[in-house]
Amino acid sequence: MVLSKQELKNIETVLVELATKEVGPVLKENAGKMFDSFDDKANQVDLVTAIDKQIEQTILKRLKAEYPDFHFIGEESYTSADREISDAPTFIVDPIDGTTNFIHGYPYSCTSMGLVEKGVPVVGVVYNPHLNQLYHASQGNGAFLNGEPLKPVERPLGLQRSIIALESGSERSSGSSGDDNFDIKQATYRSLLSDQGGYIHGSRSCGSAAMNMCMVASGYLDAYWEGGCWAWDVCAGWCILTETGGKVVGGNANEWKIPVDERCYLAVRGGASESSQDKFIEEFWSHVAGKLKYFWQG
Amino acid sequence: MQEKSHNQDLDLLSIEQFLTDLAVNEVGPLIKAESGIHQDYDLKTGKRKVDIVTAIDKKVEKIIWDNVKRKYPEFKFVGEESYVAGVTKITEDATFIIDPIDGTTNFVHDFPFSCTSMGLTVNREPVVGVIFNPHLDLLVCASKGNGIRVNGQEFDSREKLEHMGPLSLRKSIVALQPGSAREGSNFETKINTYRNLLSCDGGFIHGFRNIGSSAMTLAYLSIGYLDSYWDGGCYSWDVCAGWCILNEAGGRVVGANQGEWDIEVDNRTYLAVRGSLAASEQETYIKDFWKCVQGQLKY
Repeated sequence: MVLSKQELKNIETVLVELATKEVGPVLKENAGKMFDSFDDKANQVDLVTAIDKQIEQTILKRLKAEYPDFHFIGEESYTSADREISDAPTFIVDPIDGTTNFIHGYPYSCTSMGLVEKGVPVVGVVYNPHLNQLYHASQGNGAFLNGEPLKPVERPLGLQRSIIALESGSERSSGSSGDDNFDIKQATYRSLLSDQGGYIHGSRSCGSAAMNMCMVASGYLDAYWEGGCWAWDVCAGWCILTETGGKVVGGNANEWKIPVDERCYLAVRGGASESSQDKFIEEFWSHVAGKLKYFWQG
Repeated sequence: MQEKSHNQDLDLLSIEQFLTDLAVNEVGPLIKAESGIHQDYDLKTGKRKVDIVTAIDKKVEKIIWDNVKRKYPEFKFVGEESYVAGVTKITEDATFIIDPIDGTTNFVHDFPFSCTSMGLTVNREPVVGVIFNPHLDLLVCASKGNGIRVNGQEFDSREKLEHMGPLSLRKSIVALQPGSAREGSNFETKINTYRNLLSCDGGFIHGFRNIGSSAMTLAYLSIGYLDSYWDGGCYSWDVCAGWCILNEAGGRVVGANQGEWDIEVDNRTYLAVRGSLAASEQETYIKDFWKCVQGQLKY
């Protein structure tokens, strides 16, 4: 089955309602108030809360009732056993993206809900209740911010004159522990920033992958490079970005076509020609100081 | 001495109100309307291609200066655009220290974190601070002894601190900005220090954030969104307003380099830390942070 444009719009409407009416108020009410009550996950930095699990259950229940045949992958309920994303319509959901922000009360936590069909993100809803920003889109129907069409201003795209989202992430072990992702990231940041290297206008970090994707979609940021995040962190934003003329490729060089669970991404804004996007991507890749490797772990 | 006692009689709250009106009614709308539409910006020098200055910056400073001169003709004025290196000095006199548009790169790119930042020092101490971001419609202001106001509402710093949990390096979110100068030993010191702070063998902080504006960062720090901010290369007008606001929240500003407990507003390197319920936590935090600083920032 292939979902029609109208069906996608209907799903978008359901997700918008769920995000603004059910999830948003819980997020807003609890942000910054639960500092002492989180479980420590990997490396004690990746913070997950009881609220996270509770919100996922709310979303799962509603979507199962509305779309019983669709698959569901959520950050909290995900296990390595059901890691395959099939061709069937699959909701990919992060109940709270930017969990560290949520814990600290930094106003960049949000809920992020996407749908993929045949592996392609076709619906995306991201809602940040702290700043009251609702981004939503579905394939062929355009992207919106709080109901207004979202369209980045047309302007030249070039690496040196760009600002790019670069995050610290939560996995920070150096080579000694068996992978060198942290070292590669640090070396890449240095190369992009240095006057001897890319000398970009600047880097920005807000601590939420979904919000970064939306800010690239808005054209506030020119690009976002990330390694280590998951399908649910980027799925919704990916659809929103695509609908604004943006592009998502792999974070490692020459990966022009990647699945939604690649775990390593480079997102580039719209408002520029495809050839200038591709040129930007190739130039960016030339600064990536190694090959980032990520695996699915249960 | 007469001058000094005159300074102490200033009605700081009314100065705060004056700057607030100026920020919200005159400056904010201009910043909002012009953000992201200037692509033919000037570049300060050939080498530092990243340091972007726009004509609009100068225009906004003139509007502020004209207004301030009319109302407070005896006060001194230090602004980013009118500043002359080696000549402009901050004295004991009441001095407005103003950045018409802080976060100029944000402004050029329409990243919604440019703002206007207006401060006043008396006896070289920041005593009034007004920061207004017209994109997020966020107004944060304070004056010495009068607490903080966020969008006109009194802000209860103590209640916020009670929700934030203890202050410690390992559990903190730190604002870090590479800034526009990316050459030489300062850039090396910054990059190495970032690494030390993040690494699981080092500070292993919860995370860093970077919004590309010193004033916005200090405003966010003052209202409890962040735990600290470490930077080098910024100027008095980038930090003056935010410093006053942070003081009113129980926060503290020291130097970015080890052992710099007492610094002037034009120190050019800063470590700003939020308040804490236990005073000793703040001092411990600063010492722990300085241990991660690898090298020395010099400007």
